[in-house]
Amino acid sequence: MSGAPNAAVAVEALTLTLGAFRLDAIDLAVGAGEILVVLGPNGAGKSVTLETIAGFHRPDRGRVRIGGREVTALPPERRNIGFVVQSFGLFPHLTVEANVALGRRRPAGRHSAALPGGGEPNALLHYFGVAHLARRLPADLSPGEKQRVALARALAGAPELFLFDEPFSALDTETRTQLRGELKSFLRQLNIPAIFVTHDRADAHTLADRIVVLRQGRIVQTGTAAAVFARPADSAIARFVGVDNILDGRVAESLGAMANIAVGPRTLRAAASSAIAAGTPVRLAIRAEEVAIAGAAAGPELNRLDGTVTGLQPQGPLVSVAIDCGFALKAYVLTPQARVLAIGDAISVTIAPDAIHPMQS
Amino acid sequence: MMGGLELNAARQARGGGGDPSRPYGLYLVCWFLGSILVAFFTVPLIALTLSQSWTNFVGIARMADVRAAIGLSLEGALLSATLAAVIGVPLAYVLARTEFPGKGVVAALIDLPLAVPHTVAGIALLMVFGRQGVVGAPLQALTGLRFWGTLGGIVVAMLFVSAPYTVNAARIGFEAVDPRLEKIARTLGLGPWRTFWRITLPLARRGVLTGVTLTYARSISEFGAVVILVYYPMTAPVMIYELFLRFGLDQAAGTAVLLLAVSLALFLILRALARSAPERENR
Repeated sequence: MSGAPNAAVAVEALTLTLGAFRLDAIDLAVGAGEILVVLGPNGAGKSVTLETIAGFHRPDRGRVRIGGREVTALPPERRNIGFVVQSFGLFPHLTVEANVALGRRRPAGRHSAALPGGGEPNALLHYFGVAHLARRLPADLSPGEKQRVALARALAGAPELFLFDEPFSALDTETRTQLRGELKSFLRQLNIPAIFVTHDRADAHTLADRIVVLRQGRIVQTGTAAAVFARPADSAIARFVGVDNILDGRVAESLGAMANIAVGPRTLRAAASSAIAAGTPVRLAIRAEEVAIAGAAAGPELNRLDGTVTGLQPQGPLVSVAIDCGFALKAYVLTPQARVLAIGDAISVTIAPDAIHPMQS
Repeated sequence: MMGGLELNAARQARGGGGDPSRPYGLYLVCWFLGSILVAFFTVPLIALTLSQSWTNFVGIARMADVRAAIGLSLEGALLSATLAAVIGVPLAYVLARTEFPGKGVVAALIDLPLAVPHTVAGIALLMVFGRQGVVGAPLQALTGLRFWGTLGGIVVAMLFVSAPYTVNAARIGFEAVDPRLEKIARTLGLGPWRTFWRITLPLARRGVLTGVTLTYARSISEFGAVVILVYYPMTAPVMIYELFLRFGLDQAAGTAVLLLAVSLALFLILRALARSAPERENR
């Protein structure tokens, strides 16, 4: 991980003690144009990690490289970073134009030429579609406009790395979803590496090329968004990334890349990344959306479970179905399909083996 | 739904209009008690003002020594407020932004002049800045600067009793500035000094101006510390005291009204300036 020699940004073995809190040997690598999401609960050390990369804390050990340049000993103003914080952090006493002009102060960004309009404030505002707001004060802007101005300001100094510290955490769900989408398309166009810190798994799901899960100052998992969401390293991460079904089981039979796992009175076939010895206790992570309702007429299939409906709960366009099939299981169905279901109905479900992820117990 | 509507209708029938969640009875009692205080402040000042006939007032306003005393008060207060800004605002900043051993002691020391009787402050200052004082004596020997019987002494006395207002209000102003804005400024390429001048100070502006205004107002009104350190030349409060002792209430009251009018006008102007200080800065 830490070795990645071609990474645009590399953090190596970053270690830092702040009072009772400790960051322990954090390794991060971000490729050119890549969005790395650092995901973790509050107090995991996400913001401290970001602020250390930005130069606000001196690490006890470790190094930070940005654009091939070692910056560990440099103050924040010489690191060539664009920093975006909660609610976007525009300077309330300066107009939009003056906010962006302040971003130009950094001594000659090396890539200014590549910026829209050479990084001239009005050209940047134009690029982000907010040129008409140049003379306004931040208090008069909508969250979407603030995000665009914050990006224009951060971009004005031709940064080699964007840092985002939970910029959406004060927004309502709908605005969040919209701004997330906009941010992703801007970052794709700009092709500047970004580290985005959040405790919101929807942020991570939408934005991340790769996810690093942080817990108590340590990295506990690294992988693509798909991998972390489908194959969390342990049950705490599984809960954090929204896995609804976490089942206790025991390996009944190891079949190399597959394993038969006893869960209550049933046996499930699961894909195992490595062979697990028979008798080992495991926990299974199964996302509710991977539990498929099977037609009544279908013949015997792998991982077919018969049970009864014990609960139905509308959740937006979906209905969450609680099923008792010897153990409790949760599935999602679309609302129209749920109309035919009632509590007490018999129901059959199937789960593909590679949607069943065994974790260390 | 229906239940809620019925409940509202019942409330309106009983209470007869008004927002039922607002504690009107409480407001009424608070207003009654509060208006006693408002009257306590205003009635004496109005009575003082009304005691003066216009001709008497104009006559006093034309007297050279009265004008000189008021001028000296304003001049001393201006210097005291300026000094408080120069040495008090930096202290407010470090108190707001840093932690250090003994911070609580320093903060308590800042408030101490507010608790010390001002005559006591005057005597203490005399011991340090007076003829034989640890600061007064060497400073006169080296530079010729004296603090007894001079504007310098007036400023020292005013500063001692009024600087806490600047430090405390500016500290609150600095504490209200989001440190993340300062961090963003740093990542944008501004060094720590530029960040202070361009971001922190402008955002703390209201607290700083409020504090300096209070220091200025308190300096004009200071009597106890000034009178011990500098009886002559007389500031306006000292002159009012002397007129009262020598000629009685009428003479003193005329000068008092004049000082009141001048300082009230200045205070209102400064307050308006602090409130409307430019919200925007373009470059």
